[in-house]
Amino acid sequence: MSTAAIETSLLGKTYGETRALVELSVRVEPGQVFGFLGPNGAGKTTTIRMLLGLQRPTTGEAQVLGLDAWAESVEVHRRVGYLPGELALYPRLSGRQHVDRFARARGERDLSFAGQLCERFAVVLDRPARELSKGNRQKLGLVLAFMHRPELLILDEPTSGLDPLMQDEFERLVRETVAEGRTVFLSSHGLDEVQRLADRVALIRSGRLVATDTVESLRQSTPLRIEARFRRPVEPDLFAHLEGVTVGARDGGRITLQVTGPIAPVLTAIAERDPVDILSRHADLDELFLELYREPAAEDARAD
Amino acid sequence: MPTEIARLDLFLRRRSLIGYSLGMAVYTLVVVALYPAFEHSTSLDTLVKNDATVSALFGVTGTLSTPGGWLNGNIYANFLPLLMLLLTIGYGAASLAGQDEDGTLCLIAALPVRRATVVVEKAAAMALQAATLAAAVAVFVLIGRFFDVTVSVANVASISATTLLLGLDFGLVTMAIGARTGSRATALGAGTALAAASFLLGSLASVVSWLHPARFASLFYWSVADNQITRGASLADYAVLLAVALAALYAATLSFRRLDLH
Repeated sequence: MSTAAIETSLLGKTYGETRALVELSVRVEPGQVFGFLGPNGAGKTTTIRMLLGLQRPTTGEAQVLGLDAWAESVEVHRRVGYLPGELALYPRLSGRQHVDRFARARGERDLSFAGQLCERFAVVLDRPARELSKGNRQKLGLVLAFMHRPELLILDEPTSGLDPLMQDEFERLVRETVAEGRTVFLSSHGLDEVQRLADRVALIRSGRLVATDTVESLRQSTPLRIEARFRRPVEPDLFAHLEGVTVGARDGGRITLQVTGPIAPVLTAIAERDPVDILSRHADLDELFLELYREPAAEDARAD
Repeated sequence: MPTEIARLDLFLRRRSLIGYSLGMAVYTLVVVALYPAFEHSTSLDTLVKNDATVSALFGVTGTLSTPGGWLNGNIYANFLPLLMLLLTIGYGAASLAGQDEDGTLCLIAALPVRRATVVVEKAAAMALQAATLAAAVAVFVLIGRFFDVTVSVANVASISATTLLLGLDFGLVTMAIGARTGSRATALGAGTALAAASFLLGSLASVVSWLHPARFASLFYWSVADNQITRGASLADYAVLLAVALAALYAATLSFRRLDLH
């Protein structure tokens, strides 16, 4: 088995009495886009800080590119690009000064790729960061993360504040990056960009891993949604007693069913009621994720 | 580049450093230029000679009308250490804990440099800022020769160095507290309180007899309050100040290596 880009084993972090992350075990293969999803406060940023050796795990361990994220953080930082979730730039430094100084600090002499990135993202280089909009600061943050062509990119909410054009440009850049065999670890609380880009996703909630799989497998695991239309109104009880069936919206002769059990009895029941139309598809991933995100309010208080 | 972190902080603080240095230089020039008007004033000498409390208040160990006494009473025993401590304690609190609270430190901490290197570079940036301020004052004190303020170059260099070390001591202690707690306010408060206590102890110890032996516990005693301007700093002065600076630097490094950053 090749060395994982990221591998965590029972990784946990506690702040005082608060358990921000509990026994997280995930593996990210090289050359993948890995989506790390969860609602606000789920523990995504805490995980990322431990992957970068910015915070020390309370339990377990994190390996990044085969290196211990805490003990060997200098080498990890050499090979990783990082975009913080709450990007804070130096207010009085211009974009150009940020790029120049951070490139020098990394020992980078060739700034041609940084220049290309600045052009692609139309980065405002000559104004101090304090005068930049949220989107323009974010674009500068992306350049700082990508400019040294790292083997692994750890990006926390990377498209926050970007307009749709720049989101497209970002997605192209991510695809180019993985096409070169590099890896992108993408944290987000929004599903859209993750399902467009990610090969695999992990979902955490209240500091615990809820699911990890490929986007396609997750899609397949969503309930089948059947929308049937009949000539006459039908009683929902006809379907409600069937195994694995939940009756959803109902409007006259139209009824929506969510099916997680065997489908044949459902189709038989529909066929017996003289249907005029039937539409079947898997539920949107959004619905699955909303379902997974939902939890008792008492468990919500988590540090992120 | 290995010095980029120090250079970045110096660049960001260049305006305040220029302001501090320029302000202190102008103040020094005014002080030395006024000296001829007071050099034969016997009433000033009487004032401090007959009242040890007033003498302690001004930080004067001899007479005010001598060049050394004049410089001590107006610059080295009070105003310069105060400005020096404002500079170093302020930077000590901001450089690690403050930048972590602002969120900019994670950009630095994600660079391929050891945390100990970050601390050492920031300590170097602090030393350079303190040296600039001390040097600006020293230059204008030496210009004081044209106004009869004749003190030896060696003694001016010596007290400039001990003032710099005094600033470094409290600045690095503040930095260490910031690295331990991650809180700029705590670091600033604790650093300032320690400096004020040290100053008070140094001042009171010279007038309150039972406190006299405690003067050794004040870093002001080892830097400016033991007549260093006229006798030059001793090896013991340098050793104490340097030892405190190194201990504080070590403590800051140890604490920062364990600090959870944001």
